[in-house]
Amino acid sequence: MADATLMARPQRWDEPFGPEMTDADVQMLLERPEISAIEAKRFPTQVPLTGILKNDTRIVTYKSGEIVVRENDYGNSAFLILSGILRVVLAPGLPKEKLGRHIPNKKNFLESLSQLWTNRSIPEVRDTRLYEQKGLLRAEDAQNTRVMLQDIPVVLDTQKTAELGEGQLFGELAALGRIPRSATVFAEHDATCLEIRWQGLRELRKFDEGWRRRIDEKYRENALKVHLSETPILSGIGAEAVEQVADHTLFETYGTFDWNISYQKMRRQGKTGISEEPVIAKEGDYPDGLLLVRAGFARVSVHHGQGVRTLTYLGKGDSFGLDELYVGWKEKRSMPLQTTLTALGYVDVLRLPSKILEQHVFSKIDPPKRSLIDLADRALSEDALLEWAVEERFVNATQAMLIDLDKCTRCDDCVRACASTHDGNPRFIRHGHTFDHWMVTNACLHCVDPVCLIGCPTGAINRNIDSGTVVINDNTCIGCGACANSCPYDNIRMVDIRNLSGKALVDDHTQKPLQKATKCDLCVDQLGGPACVRACPHDALKRIDFQTVMRQTSKGS
Amino acid sequence: MRAWIIGFVAVLFYAVTHALHRGMTQDLVRPGVFTGWVLFSVIMFLALFNIRKKMPMIPLGSAHTWLLLHVAGGLLAFSLFVLHTGSFWPTGAYEQVLAFLLYLITLSGIAGYILQRIYPARLTETDLEVIYERIPAEIASIREKAEQLILECAEKTTSDTLPKNYLNDWRWYFKKPRFFLSHAMGRNRGHFWIRNHGETVRRYLSQAEVPYLNELTSLAKIKNRIDFHYTAQSIMKGWLFFHIPVTAALMVFGAWHIIVIHVYAV
Repeated sequence: MADATLMARPQRWDEPFGPEMTDADVQMLLERPEISAIEAKRFPTQVPLTGILKNDTRIVTYKSGEIVVRENDYGNSAFLILSGILRVVLAPGLPKEKLGRHIPNKKNFLESLSQLWTNRSIPEVRDTRLYEQKGLLRAEDAQNTRVMLQDIPVVLDTQKTAELGEGQLFGELAALGRIPRSATVFAEHDATCLEIRWQGLRELRKFDEGWRRRIDEKYRENALKVHLSETPILSGIGAEAVEQVADHTLFETYGTFDWNISYQKMRRQGKTGISEEPVIAKEGDYPDGLLLVRAGFARVSVHHGQGVRTLTYLGKGDSFGLDELYVGWKEKRSMPLQTTLTALGYVDVLRLPSKILEQHVFSKIDPPKRSLIDLADRALSEDALLEWAVEERFVNATQAMLIDLDKCTRCDDCVRACASTHDGNPRFIRHGHTFDHWMVTNACLHCVDPVCLIGCPTGAINRNIDSGTVVINDNTCIGCGACANSCPYDNIRMVDIRNLSGKALVDDHTQKPLQKATKCDLCVDQLGGPACVRACPHDALKRIDFQTVMRQTSKGS
Repeated sequence: MRAWIIGFVAVLFYAVTHALHRGMTQDLVRPGVFTGWVLFSVIMFLALFNIRKKMPMIPLGSAHTWLLLHVAGGLLAFSLFVLHTGSFWPTGAYEQVLAFLLYLITLSGIAGYILQRIYPARLTETDLEVIYERIPAEIASIREKAEQLILECAEKTTSDTLPKNYLNDWRWYFKKPRFFLSHAMGRNRGHFWIRNHGETVRRYLSQAEVPYLNELTSLAKIKNRIDFHYTAQSIMKGWLFFHIPVTAALMVFGAWHIIVIHVYAV
């Protein structure tokens, strides 16, 4: 202890959302009707309302034409309009090029062939003229970088839009539910908004009845009934019963929104996952409702010997506790949970109270075919791959690069093929985590929950909504590194770029090299799909969806 | 399935060529020119595999399909050669050079194919993955750790037994990859060397020095696994440096053979 260095324990609000927020700003907010209606005394002393306003919010001004949120972007904040008028673009939405999106443009055969002589010997060469699209970016620093919408009158004439005025809240479902923004919102005239990061929004919803009602009702109105109807066990119970269930459904959130940070920290400290995961439901406890996973992943486990065994994992649309609740209802006795459910990162859960299920659902459904605990009958070795994939969070992957090491001759043809199709620099490293004779390399997994998208100031990194591929628009990437720092798998790399004459580009203010974020884009603009897969002479390399593989493995056994 | 289809097509190709060759012989037409051109075309096609590898940006089919075609085509080429010459070893000196080159290519191809089926699984069993280009850096890092360990041993135990032993024996081992042939042949001379040298010096060490020797042998065992990676990866990369130039030589000699035949014999 004598050698220990004393320092203050890091606190939640050590890094405020908006460092420029002043006490006067907080006072101004407290006088607004939306905030003054909040009962401040309901908030615990360690998380006071004023603290939330000062540290979890920031006041942002938007000039006419600036985009506030873009359709399909992932965000971690909601917006309360303080003044001015915003417009929400209704379906079919704005064209991708107006939003500064990367439009995958597949090369034709001749363009593909021409790469043979147009590829440069120096890697990462960029045509800097592409960065000078006037008006698209207004960049002083990463936080204040915005995408501008050009020609607003034309947009208003050609697109269906709706007005959002003072006092309206938007973006809260995407912020809390980990889902992409459903529409684009832009400033019609100069406007001021209060941006509330998800942590603050969660507290407001937790401690203030008014905000909870406001957020939950909006979700109930917009998405809950659809979600419940699409849930297999509720699909045949009829609209009236779904309505009843929806009215009594509770919303719960487990884990942290930015789980990637705690996960990275945990890995650095060499800790194993399950001991750190928030418990949603515990083996041996009596269930009070059916749990439906709305977003994220959860681990189902059971005590085994002196440890804990992973049986499976649940994703969007999966349920937990049905077996016990159904048997309890059928046999008129309480049955404890046979397995434990823990949050793998961030999980959004709907709790359907057992009383409502007994009244409206159980009599209309067939008995559950298989219980989760039945999975414990399998040999430990059968679940070893699953245990590993869950531990490494590879269940998040939709396009993991999996190499069969028993076939791979380590020839690096895959790496060369990637470099040949990507500015002379491969977009992955043929290295990574191994299990048995399988290796998951450091190539973008194109995650189900792409945390790299959160925090990108320009939305340069985005998910193609059609293919699910996560791509970076090189023209709008400002090289801030937010995505690379967020990626829990270290699969995004920042590279120094050069101009067409091969000279390194340097920031004229800081004299530091200009960088761009790079990652695997699944050869989105190349003919024939990922070059790495096609280049492997031994059929050792595949791109796989871990969820599909895991589910097939579960069904097979 | 893909392999079976390609194999079937190759056999069919040979059967058709053989039938045409027989028909030409019966019709008293010289079939050598025909089979020669077929053989040369197949060799040209085999050489395209290397070009395909250099053009990953063009959708020319997967490299795996190309490899299957290459293997089947290689065996077909050898069969066509026998059909073309009518024997396994032709009589003319120039033809013997061509035959020698073809044998070299075929044997090196078969050897390469077999090695690429054997070594990968053995590399996996080392339970360690290392990128070939990084092997010198990895060995340097292990060597640095070993030297730090020996320095610490000398400082903490004030004995020079292990340091001297390191300078005499272990330094040689940690300098660069060792026991190439042993690793290549599937033997494990390196492991034996580590155990032998470890046990030789152990009897002269104090209680305080023994943990340092144990750690040193642990580092040596890691290096031994890296040495195997070096050997196996060197061979899997290196055999192509023989196979491809010999193929190029065969194509040049073959082209000259065709010119000579057309100018003087046809």
